[in-house]
Amino acid sequence: MRKILLLGLAFLLASATAFAQSRVVTGTVTSGEDGLPIPGASVVVKGTTVGTATDLDGNFSLNVPQGNNTLVFSFVGTEMQEVNIGNRSQVNVVLQPDTRSLEEVIVTGYGTQPKREVTGAVSSVKGELIENLPMQSFDRALQGRAAGVQVRSANGLPGGAVNIRIRGVGSITAGNEPLFIVDGVQLNNAGNASFTQDNPLAFLNPNDIESMEILKDAASAAIYGSQAANGVVIITTKKGKQGKARFEFNAFAGETQPMKILDVLGGDEWYTMRRDGLINAGVGNPQANALNAMGRLPGNWQELGADGLDAIGLGLPTFDWQRQLMGRGRLQNYELNVSGGDDKTTFFISGSYNVQESSFRPVDFERGTFRTALTHKANDRLTLETNINLSTITQNSPFAIDGAFLGNPAFSSSTVLPHNAIFNEDGSYNTNIAGVLNQNVALVNDFNSGTTTTNSIVGNAIANYKILDNLTYRGLVGVDYRMLTENRYRDPRTPDGAGVRGRATAANDWRTRFITTHTLNWNKTFNNVHNLTALVGFEFVSETREGLNAEAIGFPTFQFRYIDSGATPEFVGGFWTGYRRQGVFANANYNYKEKYLFTATARYDGSSRFGANTQYGIFPSVRAGWNIAMEDFLKDSETITDLKLRASWGQSGNDQIGNFAARGLYGAPTAGNYAGNAGIRPTSLANLDLGWETNETVNLGLDFGFFSNRVTGSVDLFDQRTKNLLLNQPILWTNGFSSIANNVGELMNRGVEFEVSTVNIDRSGFSWRTSFNFTYIRNEVISLYDDLDFLPANPGIAVGQPVGNPAFPGDQAPGSHFFAEYAGVNPATGRPMWLDAAGNRTYQPIAADRVYFGSNLAPIYGGLSNTFRYKGFELTAFFTYEYGAVVTDGQYSFMREAGTRLALNTLREVVDRQWTSPGDMTDIPRNVGNSNGGNEVRSQGRNFGTAGLLNADFIRLAQLQFGYSFNPSTLRSLGLTRARVYAQGMNLWTYSNYPGYDPEFVGAGTGQLPIVKSYQIGVQLGF
Amino acid sequence: MKMKNYIYKYAFTVLLGLGVAVSSCDLNVDPRQSIDADLALNTPDGVDAAVNSVYGRLRATNNYGRNLLALSDALADVGRTTSNSGRLIQENNNQPNAHFNSIPANNLSFWQTTYFAINEANLILDAVASGVEGASAAQLARWEGELKFLRALNYFDLAKVYTYIPTAIYQPGLVDEGGIPMPLEGSITSDIAFTRNSPRATIDENYAQIVLDLNEAITALSTSSRAGSQFASVGAAQGLLARVELYRGNWAAARDAATAALASGAGTVLGGMDYVEGWRAQNHPEAMFEVRFQIAGESIGVNESLQSSFTVLLNLDNKNAQGGWGDFVPNQRVLDFFGLAPLQVGDNPDDNNSWDVTRNEDVRAHLYTTGSTVRGSRNIECVKFIAKAGFVYGDNVPVIRKSEMHLIRAEANYQLGNTGDALAELNDFKALRGLEPVTMSGEDILEEILIERFKEFAFEGHRFFDLKRYGRDLDKRYLGPNNFVPFDDFRILPLIPQREVDGNTNLNQNRGY
Repeated sequence: MRKILLLGLAFLLASATAFAQSRVVTGTVTSGEDGLPIPGASVVVKGTTVGTATDLDGNFSLNVPQGNNTLVFSFVGTEMQEVNIGNRSQVNVVLQPDTRSLEEVIVTGYGTQPKREVTGAVSSVKGELIENLPMQSFDRALQGRAAGVQVRSANGLPGGAVNIRIRGVGSITAGNEPLFIVDGVQLNNAGNASFTQDNPLAFLNPNDIESMEILKDAASAAIYGSQAANGVVIITTKKGKQGKARFEFNAFAGETQPMKILDVLGGDEWYTMRRDGLINAGVGNPQANALNAMGRLPGNWQELGADGLDAIGLGLPTFDWQRQLMGRGRLQNYELNVSGGDDKTTFFISGSYNVQESSFRPVDFERGTFRTALTHKANDRLTLETNINLSTITQNSPFAIDGAFLGNPAFSSSTVLPHNAIFNEDGSYNTNIAGVLNQNVALVNDFNSGTTTTNSIVGNAIANYKILDNLTYRGLVGVDYRMLTENRYRDPRTPDGAGVRGRATAANDWRTRFITTHTLNWNKTFNNVHNLTALVGFEFVSETREGLNAEAIGFPTFQFRYIDSGATPEFVGGFWTGYRRQGVFANANYNYKEKYLFTATARYDGSSRFGANTQYGIFPSVRAGWNIAMEDFLKDSETITDLKLRASWGQSGNDQIGNFAARGLYGAPTAGNYAGNAGIRPTSLANLDLGWETNETVNLGLDFGFFSNRVTGSVDLFDQRTKNLLLNQPILWTNGFSSIANNVGELMNRGVEFEVSTVNIDRSGFSWRTSFNFTYIRNEVISLYDDLDFLPANPGIAVGQPVGNPAFPGDQAPGSHFFAEYAGVNPATGRPMWLDAAGNRTYQPIAADRVYFGSNLAPIYGGLSNTFRYKGFELTAFFTYEYGAVVTDGQYSFMREAGTRLALNTLREVVDRQWTSPGDMTDIPRNVGNSNGGNEVRSQGRNFGTAGLLNADFIRLAQLQFGYSFNPSTLRSLGLTRARVYAQGMNLWTYSNYPGYDPEFVGAGTGQLPIVKSYQIGVQLGF
Repeated sequence: MKMKNYIYKYAFTVLLGLGVAVSSCDLNVDPRQSIDADLALNTPDGVDAAVNSVYGRLRATNNYGRNLLALSDALADVGRTTSNSGRLIQENNNQPNAHFNSIPANNLSFWQTTYFAINEANLILDAVASGVEGASAAQLARWEGELKFLRALNYFDLAKVYTYIPTAIYQPGLVDEGGIPMPLEGSITSDIAFTRNSPRATIDENYAQIVLDLNEAITALSTSSRAGSQFASVGAAQGLLARVELYRGNWAAARDAATAALASGAGTVLGGMDYVEGWRAQNHPEAMFEVRFQIAGESIGVNESLQSSFTVLLNLDNKNAQGGWGDFVPNQRVLDFFGLAPLQVGDNPDDNNSWDVTRNEDVRAHLYTTGSTVRGSRNIECVKFIAKAGFVYGDNVPVIRKSEMHLIRAEANYQLGNTGDALAELNDFKALRGLEPVTMSGEDILEEILIERFKEFAFEGHRFFDLKRYGRDLDKRYLGPNNFVPFDDFRILPLIPQREVDGNTNLNQNRGY
């Protein structure tokens, strides 16, 4: 019976039975890692083809020919072991995990390479590091994990956009998005949702990831040519392994919580602030004016007098709008996968369900995924593979994802005047809200609705054909298909829907990406010392995107919420766009005794986005490495286990511009229609010579391993120059256009990266491991065009200054902060002051007083992880940090006004800090109420210049996990192979002096949902 | 087994073949929502559509959608802001830089959209001049006429905003920053776009070109024009010409153009309550030319439309319904013009429908009423723009009303010394508005005409330019003791967008910026 089971697992090396005289040797193979039996391990008689494989319980039985006394045991991921059996007929073997083989294979462009042969700057993040993080997309999980990779959540929308920058910002106008490749399929990571943010990378359950490799230098990435200027992230998903079917069940549940509730004023405090401000400004009847601004001025106010009005104002109640709108959210994840296979066919099948709610209702994220990976060895020469990922995601969208909208909960909950009741006494919503935010934002978010559903298929079919023993053809056909379906309803019971009796908007967006890649791989070793491999390939990518959208108004009642019920269509729209790329590429590796390593690559790439004259470009690279540790003088050193010097130079391209940016076109925008007739107008200027933006990088690196690799790591120095920038060069408006895409200017990202992993303690079952990474990047504009020092349309983009970090794909880099420097308030009067060009204080700075003040791109960032293990217990603490970003935060700027310009609530710390009497040294000016628009007469506004800039430095305990793995032997009786329980907290602690919700965001900051902290408990079972 | 091998080989060949097939794909992808620029203006339909876009530009918030009316009046002494949304406060306070270069939510500036419109007009005029295959002589004439009218209107709007008006040019010493850049050739190639650094023309050259365009438009449109006040017509061109000549101080020409305009079929002068009803009609009967908002989708929206700028009301039927922001409301002087004061007409004082205003005999008082408390205090507001077309925030905007012709002719006659004709025309006009005739002489007549213009065109964007063309100070001390902008103050003119000055070595910035 067992034999039959084994059929699927055994190597068919049955010729052994041909030998006459033999003896039977039996035994068990177990794992040194967990003590479990290893099924499918190979047992071969040394020097022969005689062998077998272990069964489900790790047992084997082998006919060993006479005279052969050595057995070779091996299994994937373990160290091979030779055992002299002597006369024994019973042999038990413990296979130790092979750390070398696990760590040393790196996925690189169109292939893999042993780590010790890698000569470029490549970081690798293993799937287990990011396992069970409550993050919807894997890009988010890369934060702090690899040097040179900067990751920021755009905001706290679950499944929302993630800002990922590999080695800085390399482009001003063209995109800065890395190329993401999942199982050979190149993805587009731009979100297209209209009503919320979607992240296309969320299609993949991060727990299905085996490893992520990040190609950072141009030389490593150049094989991807035109798409690689911003680095390449290669995702390898989990595949089946030979052996019996293994089931894994994985579940966690928990809740999200706001990280911070802003400390805002109460009703009486706001009254006092406004009243005192008006007194400062010398406005008559300050008590009455303050109450009037709060909508609480009684009709008989003239009779009451100042004291009577004060009694009303100081008796105003306080309602906590933030806690009404921000709260706990659910967090759940369930998944089941099964993998296994025989020597011909392996499979991995997984399904998952994930749900996460944000701190603002009803914003959430709900996903189901299904994944299949199959490999079939058809014959000795041909192997077929396919990977299919299906997913469906539904997000409840907020009223607005950002901006100072009255209905936006992330904006209004902290700024609505606090004396407004949320509910009436009968429990209905209070609709009589005083102040500039005169909508009940709780009602608005309760009654309005919107959903975004994303269905996607990412998959491939691959054929590998061994033409010769050392020549392999690989063909891949892949597809990345995504469909967004969106609906939004502005309820007629809310102010935005009332005037039009309800407004429904619907949108569909289809994107289809097709890729096919064909490569030939050849290798040969001469004289056992000259190792040569070569690869040539061809690749074609096409993408089309189209959509339909429509809006209708005039609904019978609020119960009718679908677009067809609207009486009047407001608009019907649609769009189509697309592009193609194709290229041929070649790669040659040569090494001498694995000691001296050389690689050269080249790619010739074309993109339909460029001008007719310049569609194709060539992207070469060379790399060299010297494995010093393999030299004779270090070969036997215990102190220096690994030492490799690397150097590379390469060029890669960027074509992340509009699909038709090079064309001179007339379009038919609705704004051009007139009196019911269609209109057309020029929309772009032609540039037939528009070509590649080229990233040229020199990289020097050193990989090291000391003390038997208890300390490993690498250091990289790089100088990356982006040349022929695809810049939207401003055009004089008098010439009819705003800008034209042109290849001008140069940008530099120069820096140092450092990664180190150490085993601090490893004895008596207790271990403590640390990994740390650090990145410093100097980002600087080297040149623009026409010898300009700054862009006329955006003086923040200036030679010698950093360009800042564009928030979303398609955004232009914002430039450095270029403002008059704030000098605090005049201690005598409380008026805000700035420094003029001569360094003197002034109340009214002019354009010539502006200075550069850094950018929102952090030059320093990284991560630190500590893991402690004892017996089955495991404790992981993972920190991320950023230093040096200077940001503006629209939400904070509104609140820093202290209710002066508009009747908005404000932060207590702002009011506590404001100037009140002569001699006060502070940065917050005297409050003047709303007189003169809230500002001192003949003064700039209080947020002018650098006054509103904030340092976004932080150190965050991003992950804290405590887990326990049950002893495998105890589990066997339960039929389990693995059982682990854990508790985990995310973002539990942040060190920062940031006054707003959180320093981690991109964009304007106004009304953006802040990221959340979360707690979860989970269980992982294997059987 | 053999069969299987065959299949594998077959599959392999297919894959390889696919690779080869794909490699022969060419890289060109053509857009589907746009066409190449050199094909756009080759057909009569294409030219028709391109002309529509030039009209469409007038709808922009920074043109007639809001700024040329609401922002102009905020700069002048017409009203005060309510701080309901915080908009127009800085303009109302005449703070430095807060002027026509302010950038509304669509991220375009007045300078930008207007020059874009002019460039489009220039491109089509170039195409029309070189002939459009299949176009009739009537079509060619109509295009030329409409485009020259539109070009004249756009240049006139730029000139009156960015430069001094010929009748009152502030020139301390020899400093005269002159007129505005005036390219008359279309720009569609990167060559022109990169290299054309148009200098400021003189103010004289600007006005001469505007008058030339208008006269050519009158000639061309008399051959062929379209019906409807939403399109340029002979009458519209004559009306605009009358205003331009008035600004230029060419009094006789202004008088003659006004007479011709009054004789034209464009628009009707209304009197009595008919005039008030005119403001309730979707298309204002007085309009000689108005900017059309055809469908709800073209509405400017709750934040920046004229309706929302001037009133918090959604409509006149129910004052409790939440409408726009009502950011800019009449000052006491305007209230006094029409005898406006709050008046409780219903029982429940908390119901906004219980409130209206007192009015004097001037029928224009009916264009004002009380708003609501939805956004704050209940103010008296102008309701000239209140969802007349059946949808909110998208009223058609009259650019030239025929009534203006009477006031232009009266003023021109006054300046020509025909004070009798001037006073007679003024009194005739007053009668249309329900007012008694006045008897006066000398400069009082001019002052009365200017006040009549103030009353007639309040919230229509005329007042700022009336003050500017007579070189008068902006006296806004009703807002605060320091709100006084003398005519020699640099804030009378806006900043020219700094990017245009930085990028154009021939373009001088306005004084003081």
